[in-house]
Amino acid sequence: MAGLALGAVEARAQAQDEIVLGGSIPLTGVFAFAGVGIHAGIQDYLKLVNDEGGIKGRKIRYVAEDTGYKVDASVAAFNKITSQNKVTLYYGDSTGFAKTINPELERKGTMIMAGASFASELNDPKKFPLQFLPGPDYTEMFGILMRYIAKEKPGASVAFVYSDTEFGRDPIAPSEKLATELGLKVAEKIVTPPGSVDVSTEVLKLRRARPDYTIFHGYVLAPIPEFIQQAKQMGMQSRFMGTFWSMDNSMVQQMGEAADGFMGVMPYRYYYDKEGTSPMLDKIRQMRPEYQSTAYMQGFLTAMLMTEAVKRTLDAGKELTGTNMKASLNTIKDFDTGGIVGVPVSIPGNSLPVGRIYRFDAKQKQMLPASDWIQLGK
Amino acid sequence: MRIGTLKLSYAADEALFDTKVQWICLALLGLSLILFPFVAGPYWIYMACLVAINVASATGLNILTGYTGLVSLGQAAFMGVGAYTVAVLETRVGTPFIINLLAAGGMTAAVGVVFGIPSLRVKGLYLAIATIAASMILHFVFSHWDLTGGTRGLSMPPASLFGLALDQPHKLYWLIIPVTALMVLGAANLFRTRIGRAFIAIRDRDISAEVLGIPLLQTKLTSFALSSFYAGVAGGMWAYFFRVVTPESFPLINSIFYLAAIIVGGMGTILGGILGATFMTLVPEVLKLVVGWLTPWVPDALSLLAPIRTIVFGALIVGFLIFEPQGLAEIWQRIRRFFHLWPFRT
Repeated sequence: MAGLALGAVEARAQAQDEIVLGGSIPLTGVFAFAGVGIHAGIQDYLKLVNDEGGIKGRKIRYVAEDTGYKVDASVAAFNKITSQNKVTLYYGDSTGFAKTINPELERKGTMIMAGASFASELNDPKKFPLQFLPGPDYTEMFGILMRYIAKEKPGASVAFVYSDTEFGRDPIAPSEKLATELGLKVAEKIVTPPGSVDVSTEVLKLRRARPDYTIFHGYVLAPIPEFIQQAKQMGMQSRFMGTFWSMDNSMVQQMGEAADGFMGVMPYRYYYDKEGTSPMLDKIRQMRPEYQSTAYMQGFLTAMLMTEAVKRTLDAGKELTGTNMKASLNTIKDFDTGGIVGVPVSIPGNSLPVGRIYRFDAKQKQMLPASDWIQLGK
Repeated sequence: MRIGTLKLSYAADEALFDTKVQWICLALLGLSLILFPFVAGPYWIYMACLVAINVASATGLNILTGYTGLVSLGQAAFMGVGAYTVAVLETRVGTPFIINLLAAGGMTAAVGVVFGIPSLRVKGLYLAIATIAASMILHFVFSHWDLTGGTRGLSMPPASLFGLALDQPHKLYWLIIPVTALMVLGAANLFRTRIGRAFIAIRDRDISAEVLGIPLLQTKLTSFALSSFYAGVAGGMWAYFFRVVTPESFPLINSIFYLAAIIVGGMGTILGGILGATFMTLVPEVLKLVVGWLTPWVPDALSLLAPIRTIVFGALIVGFLIFEPQGLAEIWQRIRRFFHLWPFRT
């Protein structure tokens, strides 16, 4: 009896000691394709940490709720998880949620948050002091793409094709300015209504502009394949590029013929990338023999950066408050991600401004590196 | 047990609540709503506020669709008008929240009247399409107007009452629940007046209504205005609740949500709007709780059962439509009738 009681006390002590990572995860709804990967990535990284004894002996418990990619459901999940657990780390599913929950996050002051949004607006440590982006923001993604273009073909003309949403419009204005600074010419800006399928008039517009490079943003898949197919049929020679959410290998494969030569920016390495030593990628391949999406890598790296922030805070003997953890996160400099990102990473502000250009190879049916790693601000 | 009710005056006959039992039930409901924030956790208080906002909006749609027979798929966009009105007033003018909420209702009513004009000529599905067009126009305005903050939308400070910031669900509860209760009570009383009965007459047969001397355009537009007023105030409360309003906050799917809520709840009954909105908001959350209970037995139940949960929710709606086409309100009425004669007849 006494042993049982002791066991119970021990279990409670352990539970009090554990660190909770909460998550509003879109396992259903329009963003489920990414949510499933993110969910698995976070779980796998935490399993690796916990199997090695946790952070300074403290295990990390992952508590997630499905949100269906709806802000009200995400906030409900946040309220539910934070009222039932002492949450230290949180993963949010959208820009809308990140903006909505920010005042509450600051009011609580007990956690740091990252999520599926790479919105440029969130990359502001003053406005969003307890949040970070586990990659470059959308404007930085455009920056990486255009630096590559400026190097490959100085003075090239580019066209921006984007959806008429917050997601789509996010990087356009600052990227136009950057294009001028890099000596590139923005030949055309085409905005499509959300969910549009028939893009023939937009393709004609693009054809008249004859850009050397066309950058798509604010889409996951449609209407990118239709755009590329029609443009190619018209004999256009433009190179087509995308940003993070349209760059998953299985997603690009779905584009069919249009996929050949499709390029874009990716802050993480692909599941199948065996170049050099990459212990983390090896572990992932060991745990999951089948292909894992780039969303998985995003979830995996987010959990890694969050636990690193916790570790550094505990190492410094500080309390796990939001401010302390964010300060610890910002001390991450030339950090080795075990191969998830191909170069050592730093988080000077709210983002991880690094990425690489990949190009789809139709023969190997894979996105393959087309450039070195490009680090902004270096 | 309630076998018969003796009424000695016309006023008693017209009363909204005509028996002591009803008054007792109502008092108990009021008391439980007052006590609720003291016993419930933050999650349930959040859900209660969300349900209340949805009840307010669904009741508005019920006035238009359930009572006047004008199908609308613009309710979410109208809520958007209310939310933006509140956000603009709060950030640019700084007027008190009560004035902002009333202004949101007024502004949305005006917008609703404009988009309600086609209702004289078109009915049924055609009107539904016209209201979809209205919501598209409104979304375009939300995302392209500087005043509404473009695609990024507006972030706003919390409502404040005598210097106290209403920045948390347990504080906003005292704003949202009373406002919703007033709105629901207002709607219930509306149908004891000439205007409300004119709405019902139009729904049942518009030509007969006109023959009876009901001006069709004026009455239909009044219905649009009232319904939009409700949507506007609900949108305003939504804005205070989430404090970020973007063009993507009120998608078309939300309009379908409200229409589904009043169909599931029971069109043309006040109780239907309340039960429908509660059902549509809470059932997905309750299903999540069920998934949570299964977690110890099913590894990673969350991701395995997420799609099943969505299917179950859909199946529940279809089930209600097949087995109880008059909605949840009818089930409630049956339960009440059962107890009227209980225990003499079961």
